[in-house]
Amino acid sequence: MRPDPWQQWQAFSALFTPGAPASPPGSGHHDASSFAPFADLTERFNAAARAYFDGAANAPAPAAADAARSFSDSLRELFADIQLPWNLSAGSRALGASPIDPMNSPALGATREHQLRAQRMADAWRRVEEAQRRLQRMGADALREAAATFASGLATSPPPAPSAAALHKLYGTWVDCAEDAYSRAVHGEPFCAALAEYVNASSAWRKELQASVEQSAKLLDLPTRSEINTLTQRLAGVENELRALRQKHRPEPAAGTVKRARRKAKP
Amino acid sequence: MTPGGSLAARAAATPGAAGCSERQAVWQSGKVTLYRYRPIARPLVSAPLLIVYALVNRPYMMDLQEDRSLIRGLLSEGLDVYLIDWGYPDGADRFTSLADYIDDHLAGCVQQILKAHLLDELNILGVCQGGVLSLCFSALHPQRVKNLITMVTPVDFHSPADLLSKWTRNIDVAALVGDGNVSGDVLNQLFLSLMPFRLTQQKYVDLVAGSPDKASLENFMRVEQWIFDSPDQAGAAFREFVTWFYQENRLAQNRLEISGRKVDLRDLRVPILNLIGKRDHLVPPAASLALRALVGSKDYTALEFDLGHIGMYISARAQHEVPAAIAKWLASR
Repeated sequence: MRPDPWQQWQAFSALFTPGAPASPPGSGHHDASSFAPFADLTERFNAAARAYFDGAANAPAPAAADAARSFSDSLRELFADIQLPWNLSAGSRALGASPIDPMNSPALGATREHQLRAQRMADAWRRVEEAQRRLQRMGADALREAAATFASGLATSPPPAPSAAALHKLYGTWVDCAEDAYSRAVHGEPFCAALAEYVNASSAWRKELQASVEQSAKLLDLPTRSEINTLTQRLAGVENELRALRQKHRPEPAAGTVKRARRKAKP
Repeated sequence: MTPGGSLAARAAATPGAAGCSERQAVWQSGKVTLYRYRPIARPLVSAPLLIVYALVNRPYMMDLQEDRSLIRGLLSEGLDVYLIDWGYPDGADRFTSLADYIDDHLAGCVQQILKAHLLDELNILGVCQGGVLSLCFSALHPQRVKNLITMVTPVDFHSPADLLSKWTRNIDVAALVGDGNVSGDVLNQLFLSLMPFRLTQQKYVDLVAGSPDKASLENFMRVEQWIFDSPDQAGAAFREFVTWFYQENRLAQNRLEISGRKVDLRDLRVPILNLIGKRDHLVPPAASLALRALVGSKDYTALEFDLGHIGMYISARAQHEVPAAIAKWLASR
């Protein structure tokens, strides 16, 4: 069934509208969950902001500063699990695992080649995890910097009266702080180097994995990607030769049938 | 029919990936399709305009909906508009190179248009990465190009604010690509990672907080569909593009060769209009502005708009300003 965004939106809105009539069966109510993470984010942000308002309103300076710090710490927590490619869990870990730690086994005997491949794979995965940790550390540092900037901004003026607009503005301010700090981090050489290592190690790991899969395919007499690539390249070569021959024998347009597009005199 | 059913039917008929303007496929080669749009105004100039879009996203962003369509704006100005749809590369396209895209697909489209109009030159509008392909083609075949327009097109890939360039500088692209294609999902993750707080959270929170009406929600969902409708990239072409342009900056350093022929931007002596988004986070203005110093053309115009990368196609402001600027510039040449 084709999802209807408007129906989903109405169903989602109904969840937060007191006294709203129940949706008819099949109306898409069950699909409202696609908006749920953002509603959840909004609610958690609002709760933290309300705590800040309660703690800072009419409070002496130290208590207001505490409330601001506590608010910015909450935001750090809230945004710590933002989805970035290098934060995704290593779901394919099992593919690189082995009952025996291949890194500590000497490569000997008839299966030496495969042992070595497993060692290379394990080493690549170790590099992936190390680069991932470096990236996550830098991400956490950026969030800490964002939180500090955000807290110092809050400290310069009394909190506004709680309202939807004020909350939205606070959220926007936080995102500005977070993006600024993130941008400074990701433009830096350490981040670029860690990202390159993350990608390069992942590529190395995948290459070894592909070799393992091809080895299994050969055992089962299944066509491998390498064999298909060879055929594709041969076909491309034939196509190129054919195109060149066609080009060579294409008749030139008869004289006088082509005209130049009119070009105006320069102003 | 229930209201929901009616809306679903309308959504099914919503142009979406096909765009909103009437068009006809006039040529096809493999997965590449050349479209011609039905004129809706009196012709302004004699030469048709070929839009060369990027490989990394789908070209229907140029014709998203009636009130947000650069193509419709150009048609309204009286231009005869063609568009290249590169299609969705699959495993069989993994060895398709930049030379294939430029010398076969793009050149084939140009040849088809020139043949149909009995002309020997046309106007080209290259968008983003499509602008880079257009620059290469125009430098290699200057006799086929009457006027060249580049839009949010990177030329100097080593400008200081270019985050994509910094990130890709030390990546082993050959190992990343291997013998395969590059997944569109990977590219989506890359683009989201440029501004993750805004692109993965804030825009949705703003939507939730903004109580959108039906029309604005549909607009949002159309853009959302486009953003994540990312074709896989033909492996060889991707490897060449990242290595030659992002890593080695060959175009700006006059060291680029396609199929053994040097791409020398000084050979570009046709009139050039360079359209730049001042708030473009993907192609920093400096990356585009570098074009002026590199081309041989004496008729060079740069127009900067206070817009971001995507805003250049779909913002309300762009609808008023960009097609009119292109038409006015073309009409005077």
